[in-house]
Amino acid sequence: MNGHGDGDADAADRVDGTEATVDDGATLGEVLGRHTPRSDAGRDARASAADLATRDRDTGPAIRLANVTKRYEGGGGTVTALSDVEFGVAGGEVVAVVGPSGSGKSTMLNLLGLLDDPTEGRVELHGTPVAGRSERERTDVRRETIGFVFQDFHLIPTLSAVENVRLPTAFLPADRTDRAIDLLERVGLGDRLDHTPDELSGGQKQRVAIARSLINEPDVLLADEPTGNLDRETGVSVLEEIRDIAAGGVGVVAVTHDDLVTEYADRTVELVDGVLDDA
Amino acid sequence: MRDRIRRLARLGSRLRGPADGAAAAARVAIPDPVAARVAGAAAALDRRFPAVSLALRNLSRQRLRAGLAALGIVIGVFAVVALGMLGTALQTAATEELGGLGNQVIVSPAAESGEETLDGRDLAAVERAAAGRGTVIPLKSTGGTVSGGGDQTVAQVYGTTNPRPLFGDAPGVPDYHRQGALVGADVAGALDLRVGSQVTIESTTYRVVAVLSPQSSITPLRADSAVILPPDEFAADGPSQVVVQADSGADADAVAREVRDRLNARERRVSVFSLTSVLDQITEFFALLNGFLLAVAGVSLVVAGVSIFNVMLMTVSERRGEIGVLRAVGIHRDQVLRTLLVEATLLGVAGGVVGVVFGTAGVVLVALNTDLPLDAVLVPTNALVALGAFAFGATVALVGGLYPAYRAAWEPPVESLRG
Repeated sequence: MNGHGDGDADAADRVDGTEATVDDGATLGEVLGRHTPRSDAGRDARASAADLATRDRDTGPAIRLANVTKRYEGGGGTVTALSDVEFGVAGGEVVAVVGPSGSGKSTMLNLLGLLDDPTEGRVELHGTPVAGRSERERTDVRRETIGFVFQDFHLIPTLSAVENVRLPTAFLPADRTDRAIDLLERVGLGDRLDHTPDELSGGQKQRVAIARSLINEPDVLLADEPTGNLDRETGVSVLEEIRDIAAGGVGVVAVTHDDLVTEYADRTVELVDGVLDDA
Repeated sequence: MRDRIRRLARLGSRLRGPADGAAAAARVAIPDPVAARVAGAAAALDRRFPAVSLALRNLSRQRLRAGLAALGIVIGVFAVVALGMLGTALQTAATEELGGLGNQVIVSPAAESGEETLDGRDLAAVERAAAGRGTVIPLKSTGGTVSGGGDQTVAQVYGTTNPRPLFGDAPGVPDYHRQGALVGADVAGALDLRVGSQVTIESTTYRVVAVLSPQSSITPLRADSAVILPPDEFAADGPSQVVVQADSGADADAVAREVRDRLNARERRVSVFSLTSVLDQITEFFALLNGFLLAVAGVSLVVAGVSIFNVMLMTVSERRGEIGVLRAVGIHRDQVLRTLLVEATLLGVAGGVVGVVFGTAGVVLVALNTDLPLDAVLVPTNALVALGAFAFGATVALVGGLYPAYRAAWEPPVESLRG
């Protein structure tokens, strides 16, 4: 499979990668630039992001909301959070979703993340409807295909950076520590592997969260206000990181208030009262 | 193909395992090999039991709170162990003390019959009643003054050919008693007698052939202050009483009932003395007391369970967002549930261990400082008490954690992530 299935070659590559990151002077961009091909080759012998990208080009959007409507039954009657939304994100694409609070951005992200079900319409993953799966299957699909990045990072305070990154795989038999270390080195935290979240700055925490979202080579990365708690400079570095991930073939959806995010997006859509507009 | 490669990769990562551990140790620069081994053990725990590893870390977050919750279990288990063990020890000690008593049936002529001795028909009836249930020992008895070594004392004088079942098998006690005297421990002490001494009873002198061991249990025969002679030394023909040493309390009961049926049906010829029913009542009382004490202690454990429930409820509501993240990134509901249950159960297990240790130590201390014999504490039943208390503590904690864990794990992640 793509000529990189051999475990020993992987290991050698990783050791190599480790040495390369100890270089402090390199800017994030340089580090990433140097690392992208390397870590691509070093990926586990499973579907790599590049494979997914190929697959995506064949079958259209990685994830798609097909004429989705979501209504909530509240105390004051029915609230329509999303109204007939048609939206898809392809592999390698960065889409920013903007809109005022209460416009349905979070609802949209929850539906894309398979955390919630639409009232009407379908959620499709590579053209296959997700509806009707058991909670167990949905959880598995979520783990295998979707990465989450949250505004307030949501790292587990008792776990080190490496442990946080491999958390999604904690209950799986295979040890993904190597990949976790790899990813942390890739986001420039090779020297912070054993630090707990309270020993990290906001930007570092968000980069740990990004590494965590990539542990299972997701098809789609969902970011909820990824720069919301970061200063501008740190925000830029995180967004460059996200762009770099997209370059590896991952579809990115970022929900945001931040104009900075839209600058890094391939396209921006606007949600107003649950209705989607191509901005 | 893909599967095979995956298997290969897994094999590879397993092979890399030890090297990784070493690398990790080097990275954090701990020169101490012990610390490295601890880190290695933690990593192994991580891989093998991720729920245990996560639970341990979660508990370490709120040490005081976890400690207090575990303290509740400690107190509860301590109470169960201490009261349970003490109850068992008292019961064991009392049963040992009263032991022989319960299994003996003593048949003697009834006062209203006017007889001093039992005749052959009585003896035959007792023997029939006791067949297969115990040993029948006819005894002649009288009170008398015993002198020896220039001193004298009053003793109970028994006559029997078969002293072993009733008076024990101290060195020198014959299977068939045909000459000389066996003296009880107190008599021997008072007259300074040993094997070979001379003792005079009612103007006849006997050689002491054995000194009986002191009796640990109470018996109606008061063997310590008795002298046992061959029955031929007595003037009377028949035995003045027949003792049945039954195999068990139930047998003693049956023998007593049957002797009454056979001999006292028409007129009251004999008096049948058995303490079995009294002993049963004593045992029953102890069982009731034990049950009551354990129930009180059990209530304290249930209270501890409620405090674990409360602590876990607090914990999961504080960690709501975190649990939402776990669910969002692909940890299954039952895996979250398991982690939280392990957390609650660990509190119970830790509390249980400490409680059992303290409880046992407490009871042993009591035994060492009072008349309660240590042997009565160290009986197999008490191991069961300790094990049971520990299991109960752990279970109470598990049950206390059940609802909070279920609620947290089954909450839709959308809700928990909202904050």
